Amino acid sequence: MVSTIQNTDVKQKDAARAAVVAVTSRAVFDCGVGGGDDVCGVGVAFPLLQALQRVNERLLEENPAESLLFDVVLITTSSQQQQQSSRISSSTRHYGLEVSRFCFSSEEDFIESLLTNGVQLFLTTDRNEATQASQSGVLSALLDQQIASCPPEQLRVMFCGDAIVQPDTGPTPASRQVAQSFSTQLGEMRQRFGVFNSPLSIVLVTSRGGRESCSGALQKLRSRGVSVDEAYCLAGAPQGPIVSLLRPHFLLSEGFRNLEE
Amino acid sequence: MSLDPVQVMSGQVKELKVAPSSNGDNRASWEEKEEFDQDHLGLTTKPKPVTGRRARKVEGGMFFPKPENAVTVAVSSRVMFRTEREQKVFEQKGVEEYLRYQIEHENEPFAPGPAFPFVKALETVNARLRELYPQSEELFDIVLVTYNHAHVGIRLINTINHHNLFIERFCMTGGSSPIGYLKAWHTNLYLSADADKVREALAEGIAAATMFMPEKLTEVSESQLRVAFDGDAVLFSDESERIFKAHGLDKFFEHERDNEDTLLDHGPLKGFLEALGKLQKKFYAKGQRLDCPIRTYLVTARSAASSGIRALKTLRAWGLEIDEALFLAGAPKGPMLEKIRPHIYFDDQMFHVEGAAEMGTVAAHVPYGIAQKHNPKQKSSVGK
Repeated sequence: MVSTIQNTDVKQKDAARAAVVAVTSRAVFDCGVGGGDDVCGVGVAFPLLQALQRVNERLLEENPAESLLFDVVLITTSSQQQQQSSRISSSTRHYGLEVSRFCFSSEEDFIESLLTNGVQLFLTTDRNEATQASQSGVLSALLDQQIASCPPEQLRVMFCGDAIVQPDTGPTPASRQVAQSFSTQLGEMRQRFGVFNSPLSIVLVTSRGGRESCSGALQKLRSRGVSVDEAYCLAGAPQGPIVSLLRPHFLLSEGFRNLEE
Repeated sequence: MSLDPVQVMSGQVKELKVAPSSNGDNRASWEEKEEFDQDHLGLTTKPKPVTGRRARKVEGGMFFPKPENAVTVAVSSRVMFRTEREQKVFEQKGVEEYLRYQIEHENEPFAPGPAFPFVKALETVNARLRELYPQSEELFDIVLVTYNHAHVGIRLINTINHHNLFIERFCMTGGSSPIGYLKAWHTNLYLSADADKVREALAEGIAAATMFMPEKLTEVSESQLRVAFDGDAVLFSDESERIFKAHGLDKFFEHERDNEDTLLDHGPLKGFLEALGKLQKKFYAKGQRLDCPIRTYLVTARSAASSGIRALKTLRAWGLEIDEALFLAGAPKGPMLEKIRPHIYFDDQMFHVEGAAEMGTVAAHVPYGIAQKHNPKQKSSVGK
């Protein structure tokens, strides 16, 4: 049974314009085994939420009437988490996180929850959840443990320019469409800020192909209104060392065809 | 006036810097990375078909050498190409206008910069290496490293296409320091127009030099890569230079004579000379010593009969061959370099760099050691 609760501490966003991002509560808080109304500890995605919040703050600084903002939803994806609902909402208030809504759902119905709440990007530390959501047409990204040490002052989004698209487990055409519209929104947000000192940075990495892959990806993103800040063309070099320097909060790879095929 | 090539002792040449595979497998968990890792297994045993200079892609699209196996040369866009006009736009009108200008001129390729002939020569060597060793990853790998924003990327790629360069790897850091990426790429040599970045790299143990565009460029060989090095504070440490600066020439000679059998300590470019030597041996092994497309030179103010001996003994003990050692005994280097026509000449003193440039040699400054006016360890602020 899904329950969606608005966070009355936070101003609700314009549904038509906002970019709705759902993050699993398990990623944001480390609730341990405590009970009652104890405040939870912070999880790996806590700096990510702070970074999303920072983007909103800066957007509103530029234009107090800005409606293109991140609309953050905290979602539970298991009955166990569902039972922690009061701790989750009290922790959110305690840390002053800009979460507009809580979706308390379980394993069976969290997908439904994502869909009915118009979630455009689902972020989770659980691979299965990400795959399930992806297959249901919701753009998803898997959060890595490393993001706990990512800077909260700047949201860093990495586009993988030449991901291999698997026909059976990969994204559906519908989710590719969602990916494109989300990246367009990101691009629009990025345009609100200058070259330096932006609270949002867009990073492109092409891992397999050579410069033509990278050039193609840059042009494709540009055609969607996304200006890339940093670009790395690896042409087969090991990704790990480079990516760990880049410190992205999450990685988007859907929406690109494998440019070598 | 040149001496016979230094003979290599029977000692082993030091291995190229080889780091363990740094895939960082256990840390990142993004799906594509796992995908990628699977394809990566057994890379070095995969046969690589060679068809002319541009090898076909094998499945998985990976035919480029692994950074730790290759001799990686990171070149900044400002020394690879001529970007003076754009620099002016940046300085006079700010970054937004600069980027707008770049995008507007996206289809106009940049002209070749001071590092261009050097990079072309590296590609020539690669072509020869691929002929002889089609499966080997011991090649030059050129990475374009710039702290430009990715907005300039398309113009840079168009330029690379226009000049028919074989550069497939790059880092456009959008304003942050490229130094971390240099290490991640196992960079053997970093060439930049920015002395601060070069100093940072040197401080991290990466061979690096600042390049300048000479007024005129003498023609250089298209079939043989020629690299020339100064001795003190480039191949060797600056210890002897310190003596000279503190106590004068006589004391310097005395010190060198007394310490003739003590090896000099190594300098920042020693590793790069080693890397070149290792590639040279691959040609020798195939009977191509006389026709080797790599030739190295030592061009030093030391004298052959006295202070030069210590330099030679040190090189010998390191197991490094250098093809020609030129001991100028204080004579100007410009005319000698003009005869040699190296693609690049490394020196720690701007005086010599400028002298070389006046005669059309591309000289690169290694801001290391006592010859610098500032403290060489001074770290500039990173990023913008």
